[in-house]
Amino acid sequence: MRTSPDARELLAISLKTFREELLPHIPPAQRYTALMIANALGIVEREMAGLDEAGHTMLGALALLYGEDADDSLSGDDLRERVHGLQHRLCIEIAAGDFDHGGQDTVGQDTLMECLEEIVHARLGISNPKALNP
Amino acid sequence: MGAQTSAMIDDTSRPRLEAWLAEATGATRVTVADEGRLGGGAISLNLAVTLDVDGGPQSGRHACVLRAQSAAGIQASISKGQEFAVLRAAFDAGVAAPEPIAACADPAVLGAEFYVMRRATGVGAGHKVVKSDQPQRDLARELGRQLGRLHRAGPDTPGLGDLPVPNPCPALDAVHAYKAWMGGVATCDPVLAWGLRWLEVNAPPPGEVVLCHRDFRTGNYLVKDGQLTAILDWEFAGFSDPMEDLGWFCARSWRFGRNDREAGGLADREDFYAGYEETSGRKVDHQSVAYWEASAYVRWAAIAILQGRRHTSGEEPSLELALTGRMLPEIELDLLRHLKAIGTLTTEAGVG
Repeated sequence: MRTSPDARELLAISLKTFREELLPHIPPAQRYTALMIANALGIVEREMAGLDEAGHTMLGALALLYGEDADDSLSGDDLRERVHGLQHRLCIEIAAGDFDHGGQDTVGQDTLMECLEEIVHARLGISNPKALNP
Repeated sequence: MGAQTSAMIDDTSRPRLEAWLAEATGATRVTVADEGRLGGGAISLNLAVTLDVDGGPQSGRHACVLRAQSAAGIQASISKGQEFAVLRAAFDAGVAAPEPIAACADPAVLGAEFYVMRRATGVGAGHKVVKSDQPQRDLARELGRQLGRLHRAGPDTPGLGDLPVPNPCPALDAVHAYKAWMGGVATCDPVLAWGLRWLEVNAPPPGEVVLCHRDFRTGNYLVKDGQLTAILDWEFAGFSDPMEDLGWFCARSWRFGRNDREAGGLADREDFYAGYEETSGRKVDHQSVAYWEASAYVRWAAIAILQGRRHTSGEEPSLELALTGRMLPEIELDLLRHLKAIGTLTTEAGVG
């Protein structure tokens, strides 16, 4: 059963209306608050549309580090749980000093940095895509 | 600013406040006019007040700020009594801190600890302060001079006995604090885990500790006609490695889009450093500043987590706090960029 317009469509038109028809008329004293609302709703919109895609990017980055294949079939909570599990494992290894030295035989700091950058980029794509531009 | 008055000063508490102020300032009578909440207080509550003082050494009319502990302070901040002592030490050292007037530790007066200081005027908002076609070299240099003066105060300075002294190493003390503030996030966010590990491995050895502001940055000082009028927000102050304040000031997080001007979005680091060396009596240690800049990103991330938690815990529902919690990836990107830029430090100074 699909309700039409669905939640995403309702959110998109609400945000568009807020930005185009209300925001220009908000008095200066309330403008910061209004911009915060638009910002928050923008995050919600991107998260609803792109959370799984971000999850797959993160899983791909982590799988690369661990020499495993990313499982493309995962979605929703299963995907997030898998990402969370691998991130937790990585945190423990980092804290234990496993990446302190950039070795040639083992996975070194360069690979770690690439993985961390991909994870941050995937999360920024939702929270603040503008920050991705240097 | 709206004329919204605060719940803190009402018909019941006003006479108590006025009587207390009269005693604290040696006046025969003080009348308080409440002009509403001032912005910029994510952690403290700032009220604009005007005092009419009759008699005593402070006789006259004074535009002031009454600064009180908010309902839910955060772990990183010191008490209002300690903050007042820091303000006094800074003011006495010739720093452009607002003049402290009186502090009240008795919760019976207003329901929370608070102090009163003179109100400074000027523009504080970071995005406005950095707006300038030309680099603001004089302002950057003056801020360096101010910081240098502050750093002449230390654990031996009278009145600062209440502030904890880092033991034994300020850099590692800081890492432990960040971990504690982050809680579980430190074991499920690998970027922060890497930041924390990097800070542990590369920590500079203990050296001289001085009175640090610990939130000395664009957005926390006021400027009028291009001149500095006051340095604000002293609630994170404490003793630490002097280079901590320099790293924090120069972090990308406080350049408000002017990334080409590394000293707070104002000018090059050279101007800021030169001012600092003029008054502090010490040289800027570039490698140490780079370390503390890395520490700054991890600290800002930890504070963002704390701020987000104030909202999600239901303690203090606020859109601003909620969005601060969502700034984490941005702060982490800045951390990774910085570590990449100074990456050689790890292999040179690393343990093993």
